[in-house]
Amino acid sequence: MTALVSRQRTYEEISVGDELGPVEFPLPIYRLVVAAGGNRDFNSIHHNRSYARASGAPDAYASTFFLLGTWERLARDFVGSAGTIRAIRGFRMRKFNLVGSTMTVSGRVTAKRMEGDEPVVVLEVSCQVGSDVTVGPGEVVVTLPLTGGGS
Amino acid sequence: MTDNWRDDWQPVIDAVGRDFADGSTAFGADPVEIGTIRRFVEPLELDSPLHYDAEVARSHGYADVVAPYTQAMSYSIPAMWKPGDATLYCDPAPDAQPARSPINNDDMPLGPKTTGFFATDIELDFVRPLVVGERVGRRGNTLMSCTPKETSMGRGAFLTWQSELVTDSGDIVAYVRTGTYAYVPREEAS
Repeated sequence: MTALVSRQRTYEEISVGDELGPVEFPLPIYRLVVAAGGNRDFNSIHHNRSYARASGAPDAYASTFFLLGTWERLARDFVGSAGTIRAIRGFRMRKFNLVGSTMTVSGRVTAKRMEGDEPVVVLEVSCQVGSDVTVGPGEVVVTLPLTGGGS
Repeated sequence: MTDNWRDDWQPVIDAVGRDFADGSTAFGADPVEIGTIRRFVEPLELDSPLHYDAEVARSHGYADVVAPYTQAMSYSIPAMWKPGDATLYCDPAPDAQPARSPINNDDMPLGPKTTGFFATDIELDFVRPLVVGERVGRRGNTLMSCTPKETSMGRGAFLTWQSELVTDSGDIVAYVRTGTYAYVPREEAS
């Protein structure tokens, strides 16, 4: 398989305030079923509307594993193959990401610093449906390569 | 659950600090392999070549194709069913649930019986991603807090758990702190 190649960002190019996304995730039942098959969270609240309603939720809603994955998607799109993800913090689910809605994930750079030899960048990330923040805002801590191939 | 439902949670509150896994490691059902990585990234449309191209992964210092960091928890989930187990599917009703599931609160030996369960928050510190061929499990499962609370969903408690994800070769790949809400839905409680 041929890899998709995009230009690799470097630590020096990043500035506090840089924005990430938004990436849109329409949430039909179909997508949530594919997600359950991929991440093994088969809890019926994520793909069975009547079961979800009986559980007290307004409708079926996206799973934690799927939502975590959307944060990784946003971060990976930003750091490229040479970047790494060190931590996800403050990933708090505030509202349901309901089937039938479109969730967007977005972020911005809030800090950058060298930790020893490691070029570390902190991203503030959240999920949103309409004007409601549904997950976060939390932090994704990443590393990017230095120009010229340092760490 | 009694009328004084909060009291039913006292044994759980008293158990804060206890490792319910006694330090043991529960390994996931399957090793990391390229097909399950593909299934995980598909609904996310996560297209980094690290997740499908071994040559690219090796050029960045990995031994093989890399699983997404956030897939590590999925790889640590035990099998729902294995040869020799009793059937999971005892009831043909459309909404019937399996007899057992590794991702709800079924294995909690203390406190009231709950049927509703979902995660509320997560903190993850990653040491490194998993690569094809590795197996991962969850080591330890320490209860860090228990706060009974009635919500719009029902009556239950917010619980925080802490564990480590370790490979079959003993490497810690992530530290995980998970918040959950285990509850009796309003419909059942009334």
